[in-house]
Amino acid sequence: MKLIVIVLLFAALLMPSLALAHHSFTATYDTSKTVTIEGKVTQFLLRNPHSFLHVTVVDKDGKEQNWNIEWAAAGQLGGAGVNRDSLKVGDEIVITGNPARDPADQRIRMVTVKRTSDGFNWGFRQGQVVD
Amino acid sequence: MRTITFSIVLVALFAFSITFFGQVSTPSPGIGIPLGPLVSGTDFSGSYRWLNHQDAGLFTAAGDIADWGGIPLNDAARLYALSWPASRQTVKQQQCMGYVPPYTWMSPGNHRIWEERDPATQRLVAIHYWGQIAQVDRTIYMDGRPHPPAYAPHTFPGFSTGKFEENILTITTTHIKRGWIRANGVPQSDAATVTEHLIRHGDVVTVFSVVNDPVYLSEPMSKTSIVVRQAIAPDAWLYACDDSEQILGRKNDYVPSHLFGQNPFAREYAEKNKLSLLGAFGGRETIYPEFLGAVKDTAAAEAAAKAKMLPSGPQQNSRAPDPTPNDGNIHVFHVTGSVYLLAGDGANIAVQVGAQGAIVVDTGAGKLSEKVIPEIAKLSTKPIQFIVNTSFHSDHVGGNKKLQAVGADPSLTGSFFSNQFADAGQGATILGQQNVQTRMQEQKPPMEAPPSDTYLEDRRRKYHNEEAVEIFPMPNAITDGDSVVHFRRSDVIVTGDIFTTTQYPFIDLKNGGSLQGEIRALNFILDRTVYRNDEDGGTLIIPGHGRVTNEWEVAEYRDMLVIIRDRVQAMLKNGASLEQVKAARPTADFDPRFGATTGPWTTDAFIEAVYVSLKNPPRSAN
Repeated sequence: MKLIVIVLLFAALLMPSLALAHHSFTATYDTSKTVTIEGKVTQFLLRNPHSFLHVTVVDKDGKEQNWNIEWAAAGQLGGAGVNRDSLKVGDEIVITGNPARDPADQRIRMVTVKRTSDGFNWGFRQGQVVD
Repeated sequence: MRTITFSIVLVALFAFSITFFGQVSTPSPGIGIPLGPLVSGTDFSGSYRWLNHQDAGLFTAAGDIADWGGIPLNDAARLYALSWPASRQTVKQQQCMGYVPPYTWMSPGNHRIWEERDPATQRLVAIHYWGQIAQVDRTIYMDGRPHPPAYAPHTFPGFSTGKFEENILTITTTHIKRGWIRANGVPQSDAATVTEHLIRHGDVVTVFSVVNDPVYLSEPMSKTSIVVRQAIAPDAWLYACDDSEQILGRKNDYVPSHLFGQNPFAREYAEKNKLSLLGAFGGRETIYPEFLGAVKDTAAAEAAAKAKMLPSGPQQNSRAPDPTPNDGNIHVFHVTGSVYLLAGDGANIAVQVGAQGAIVVDTGAGKLSEKVIPEIAKLSTKPIQFIVNTSFHSDHVGGNKKLQAVGADPSLTGSFFSNQFADAGQGATILGQQNVQTRMQEQKPPMEAPPSDTYLEDRRRKYHNEEAVEIFPMPNAITDGDSVVHFRRSDVIVTGDIFTTTQYPFIDLKNGGSLQGEIRALNFILDRTVYRNDEDGGTLIIPGHGRVTNEWEVAEYRDMLVIIRDRVQAMLKNGASLEQVKAARPTADFDPRFGATTGPWTTDAFIEAVYVSLKNPPRSAN
């Protein structure tokens, strides 16, 4: 048993550190909180090192607000089957994620996204994380 | 005779064996040593990955907010870091910021090292390093070449030279851009120099690095990192950072920052980990065991930590070396394309050359014009045809008269249109915004050789020396007559004093300057620049004073001014007087880089210019 623990620890130590971001998420987002927004896609930027999704959300007063969603790198999304045509302007989506520490940014680190029309989604399977 | 014959055969066999088998293990002096220094040492070639066990708590090499224990950062660096929100990374020019040494060794992703050897001699010319994250393209020269002059551009990897000390590779790096000690706000200034010692044990390379930063460290910072050689090189080596509109609708003069003493997350890390805030705030004292005694009195430690959230102590002078050569000589530096920098006579002089006459942007203080003229003559076979003045300040126009006199403008000579002018084509034509002429003429006595070809329009343009040249007036920046010049094919922008690497902007209130115009002008420049990769290269910038840069330093300068503006604006809203604003030291985190307590442009004078600009905005600010 002890040996297994040691082997696992050693393996963890040597595991490729792909899950390491180029900047500090803990400084940028409040990773202890999760928020959910529903809105329409206004722009999808498939970029490196992180993609961005801009979403228009209608608040409880009926006013439109822009939300800025940080998503994974273009290559990482490609590996998960997400490409530049996966989301279109006007698509209705539901996003969960960690809110930015600065509320003025109206920014979220994507945890999950789901399109209401056909169930297209990301973030529900292993490895689908923004890092 | 037999002995001689035997000896000749032996030597011939030895030479034969060298040719065919290359088995010279340790060459003796005088036999088989190639020309130039012979370097031998450990071969570090291979593909590596960072082993972050010793920095596991940092997770991303960036760490939590205010996790700075053990870093010998000084008070200014701590204030900088406390003012820094991660939201700053959403600013366009900050998104693809490069990695500096030694921080680059802590980056996730792959690292590759390989040797460059002279094909004829197999002498080790350089060791190359490629860091996947931020595409760090680093060359460590092993051939004994000198480091570039101080007025040469900085890059994120810097300029490195190396030597073997036994089997340790020791690297000395200068010319590094402002980067991170830790990417949670702790800066490494562009005045830092870095020494790294690489030690290899099998597949493990230990990098022991020492950062000397006169601006932001109170003593050298040493650190080790470990990279492990990978048996199989991964296939992904690019990073290709591409900036984007991360926050829609954000204005280009918005730079997120916390006001001094108002970082809402300053205590989070210390409280979460039940640490003394004083310890988490770092500083040289936190390196040494005696510090444990200092935090035993928790009330005193808390008071000391609180005090560190605000500027204190005397105003600081810049501790960054001045890159301007003040040795009485003119130093010529090829910037790129057809554009050169001439440094040494007050403000920087830019020269564009080609088949036509030279264009000279600014003529310096005029004290060394006799040396400037022959240096331009070496670059251009044709006389100076045009002079552009970016401002009327004497350190930019002092050489006008002498440089004009040796020039000629053949576009006027013998022209049908110029028959009425007796002096047509004699001397270079001087261009400038109309207010440059006006200001020079209204001085008592009037300044010599003001621009005769003036403009009030938004863009003056020429196609000269096979290059589009654009001159843009920048209203109410340093003065009311500033211009920037863009050589488009070379892709070099000459900024005048709107941007310098040596001091806070010399906002000349009496002559129409303003903070608002200055920030607007910097944003104008940034709207015309493009970087090559990860905020290095691309459009190059010749500042009014200091070294050649690219957009990164201009953006940093803009960010600094916006941050200082917001601090002063917040105090103004609370009714603060100028003296109260000065006492609050709103520039404290930037003073060790740009501050001056004496001389023609002090920090106090700059703060006054900010204060007055905000209290009485120029009409152009609306």
